[in-house]
Formats: sequence, structure tokens, C-alpha cells
Amino acid sequence: MRFAFTEDQLAFAEAVRDLLGKECTPATIREAWDSPTGRSTNLWSQLADMGVIGLLAPEGVGGMGLAEIDLVQILFEAGRSALPEPLSATAAVAVPVIRDFANSAEAERWLEEITAGECSVSLQLSPNTHAVGAESARLLLLEAEDGLHLVEPEVVEFEQRESVDHSRRCATVSWTPSHATLMLRPLEALSAAKSRSAMATAAELCGLADTMIAMTVAYCTERTQFGVPIGSFQALKHQLADALLALEFAKPLVWRAAYSVSTNDPAAELHCSMAKAAATDAADVVGRAALQAHGAIGYTVECDLHLWLKRSWALRAQDGSARLHRRLIAAQLLD
Amino acid sequence: MPSTVVAGSFCYRRVTVGKLSYMNVVVCVKQIPDPADPGALDPTTKTLKRDGKLILDESDSYGVEMALQLVGDSGEVTLVSMAPNGEVSGLRTALAMGAAKAVLVSDDALKGSDSLTTAKVLAKAIGRAGDYDLVLAATESSDGYTGTVPEQIAEVLGLPSVTFAKSITVDGSSIKVDRQTEAGYDEVTCPLPAVVSVTAGVVEPRYPSFKGIMAAKSKPVDQVGIADLGLDAGAVGWAGAGQEIVEVVAAEAREAGEVIEDDGEAYNRIVTFLSDLKVI
Repeated sequence: MRFAFTEDQLAFAEAVRDLLGKECTPATIREAWDSPTGRSTNLWSQLADMGVIGLLAPEGVGGMGLAEIDLVQILFEAGRSALPEPLSATAAVAVPVIRDFANSAEAERWLEEITAGECSVSLQLSPNTHAVGAESARLLLLEAEDGLHLVEPEVVEFEQRESVDHSRRCATVSWTPSHATLMLRPLEALSAAKSRSAMATAAELCGLADTMIAMTVAYCTERTQFGVPIGSFQALKHQLADALLALEFAKPLVWRAAYSVSTNDPAAELHCSMAKAAATDAADVVGRAALQAHGAIGYTVECDLHLWLKRSWALRAQDGSARLHRRLIAAQLLD
Repeated sequence: MPSTVVAGSFCYRRVTVGKLSYMNVVVCVKQIPDPADPGALDPTTKTLKRDGKLILDESDSYGVEMALQLVGDSGEVTLVSMAPNGEVSGLRTALAMGAAKAVLVSDDALKGSDSLTTAKVLAKAIGRAGDYDLVLAATESSDGYTGTVPEQIAEVLGLPSVTFAKSITVDGSSIKVDRQTEAGYDEVTCPLPAVVSVTAGVVEPRYPSFKGIMAAKSKPVDQVGIADLGLDAGAVGWAGAGQEIVEVVAAEAREAGEVIEDDGEAYNRIVTFLSDLKVI
């Protein structure tokens, strides 16, 4: 078996990289930090126009009818640019879950709106204790004891929570589950949402780590001490080599998870946990190395590194820590 | 304030009353090495290495966007390009933006072509693009910077030429062009067909959609060699070049800035400096 991304998948990722490289700069992220919603002004509609948000939606509602393996490189790019938008929650989780577990009328209505860029979705899935971007979302996917619910924000109360990453506006949600909001096969829907969210977050974490390594290499090449670039010192070389190694070992697990979800592999849940555990660990190693190599400047808000670092801290905890996912892996392998 | 100019008036083509009902625009595009990767010169030929993947020159994306806006739903944009090794990556980007088809000239004999030869080749290739109303090009490429090819194409084709367009409006069988100048812009009226070079940054090039990327794969690219264009190998490339690169030297290091002690009149020096740069 030859596993490699297709020409189309790479072309999609390249197109998104080009868009985000020009439109999602550190200045854009800083503006999002200061905006009322934590989001950018135009990126959501640009991503919708490109076809990113509806990539997994059926063609009948304006989507592309493609699979997670076509999306995963795009999520990686979103991480690379520290995109301040709910792309993973909406495109990688809500779209396929609504497609597969909402009744046909609701699915058509919401998928059309999502694909057109008129609707973003916020998730409240355990072990997360809060929903991100809930107050700017048109729709929420909320976990309850009986499974996953599709809920409109009008019937939900929000209590704002602080996040280390100011582009993530977090809130705890209070609502009363009802049969009317319960999705079809609700426990299966909940499981699908959690696996997909873990996989998508893992892809974003790898993208964040990729940029942090690039930033750090650039800094170590430019910054001099004792008359030479600090990158020539073995102490930093080894740290950065370890960081790159962790990232390169995590990426194939993320690609595999996306492939397994795409192909309905019975082990998809296991593979998503493996991806999230490895990507979380990689982002930890990379983030520590990046901060160490940057020295004091890395601790300042003026240095762009913190935008990526704080996002990685938030996403490491999101959808379960590495320890939690290793326990899930152990449980599944030993059962 | 704009000034009004009437460009060349030797329109030999069809006369159409009112707005053109269907418009064909040819856009000359260059595929260049990715500027994000460090460029390298071939030590033997002293020319830019073009071995790897080439991308659409960003300065050409403005011409493509302007052409797409001009034709709207009632017209067609055809790309014309000259590139080594049958390279189509940059063309696919422009096709994904919405261009309908492309003509690519690729021939080993073209290596070393100077700007006039390039213009002659592109002029021939434009002839394969069918019946056209307008030819657009960037003012200059991002890797060569000669800034002469569009005007040379116009001369070879015997068409009027307008440079530095910041906007183009079609009016019957002519166009009105706002032509960027140092002081503002000229309003130029020009009969069609014509060759117009487009200033970078005047429109916002669209990002290709995924559907556009997929559609681009099946759009026709007419790949031709110099024989197909009726050109002689001895008249193009190194053999036909009227110029030779005899030496490449490193650019001089930037000198340290001038330090002026403020005796109360330093602002005059600043004003003079900015005025010399024509900033103010």
C-alpha cells in the first residue's frame, strides 16, 4: 500500500496556505484578540468561498462531498497560521455529524448555511468544560447523558470563561436537554463528534508546532551571541532536533487518523486517540524548545511566538490530554 | 487631475457598436521560480535557474483578475505563456482562477531568449488563441524586470499599446484606460484590439476555489514548440538573442545612513531628501 496525499489534496492545502499566508498574518490574529468575538473580519467568508467549510458536506447543499483525508492537510494549515476561526469545530466535526446524524430537513437547512459561510458551530464535548466561540455561533453541538444534541443558541445560557488564548472566547453553557434537540443515534453521534474533534485538534496542533519550529529556526539563525548565530550552539541544535523529531513522528498518526475516519475503519476511534496523544506531546516539546530558544523576548506579547504558543497550550488540553488519550488507547488495546 | 490622451488609432479589426457582447481577452502570464525559495544563477549562462516547479508570477495575477472582471459571464480569458520543460503549474493556478484555456510555448531552443525574442514568440502564440479583443500583461515580471515585453508584443502585432493601466472600461470597439502616472493618472482612449500592461495592486486577485482547482485540471492547454509557431531555431534562444550577459556581480552593500546634527534647520534636509525621492 502506498500512502501519500493526492495531487488534489496537496493543491487544496497549497491554496489554503496561500490564502492564510496573505490574509491571516500575526496582525490579523492580534486584531482578533481585540475584537468582540475573538474572530477575524473576513476569513470565514473567504474560506467558505474557497470551499473549505463545506468540504465534507454533500454537493447537493453546495459542498464538495469529500472526506476527512481531503481536509486534514487544510486543518494543519489552519494550525500553521493560528487561524482564529472555529474551522475544526464547524468543518471537521459539525458538518459530518449533522450530515450523518441530523434528520434530513435539519441537515439540509444547516449544511446549506454552514457551507455558505453564514453559520459557525460551537461544541461542548467532555472532557472539555466549556464551549469555544459559543456566543458567536449560530448552532451548538452539546453533549448530554443521552448523547449529542443539536441546539440553537436562543435556548442556551452562557457564562464567559477566561482563556489564555484571547482569540478563543470560552463559555460554560447551561441548557435543558429535550427530545426535540436529540440527534439520531445520539450516542453514536457523540462518539463520532469526539473522535473527529480529537483528530482535527491534533492536526491543528501539528500545524502550530510546524510554525513554532520555523519561527525558532529563523530566530536562531538571526540572533547572534559570541559573534555567531545562536543556532550554531549544540544545546539549541539538539533541542530543535528533538522538537522536529516529535512533530515528524506525530504527523503520520494524524494522517492515519484522518484516513481511518474517512474509510470508517473500526479502529478509527483508537487512531484518533493515538493522533491526539502524539500531537499533544509534540506541541509540548516544540513549544518548550521554542520558548527556551527565544529567551526573554519569547515571553513578551510583542513577540509573535506567544500567539502560537498560547493556542497550542489551549489545544493541548482540548478534547483530552495526552494522558487521557493514552488511557483510552490502553483500554481499547487491552479490551 | 487626469489628463486625456488618445492612443494609436490604426484599429484594423471589426467595428462593434455598443458594448462588446462577447469578449475574448488574452493574458500573457509568466511562470517563475517561487520567490519564497532562494533563487540561483546558472554559473555558465548567468541566467536564473528554472529547473524546479514554477509558479504564477504574482504580478500577472492582477492581469488575470482584471481580464476575468472584464469578460464577466460573457467572454473568455485565454492564457499565453512561455516556459521551460512543459511547465504548467502556474498556468493551472490562473486556470483555477477562472481562465478558460491556455497556450504554452515550451521548447529547449528558447533557452536564453531575450525580451524581444520572448515578445515575438508570445505574439505568435497569441495568434493561436483565436479571435481576441484585448491582450493584457503585467508591466514587468518579478524575476526579469525588463518591463519591455508588452510594448514589444504590441509592436510585433501592430497593435496600439497602453501601459500602467489601473483600470480598463470597454466602450464599444474601444477601451478607456486610467493610466497610472507619477502625478496621478491619464485617461486614455484606445481602439480594440490593443495590448495593455496592468499595474500591480490595482485589483484584488481572487483565490482559486477548490471547485476551480479541480476544473482547471480538465481545461485545455495547447502546448506548442517553435516549429508549430513557424519560428526558426536560429532566430530564438541564445542564437537569436541580441544581448548577452557578460558578468554578474554582487549588489553593493547598502551604505550607512547619513547622520545630521540638528542645528535647528535639520527639518529642511529631511524635506529636501523626501522631495528628491518624490515622496512629497
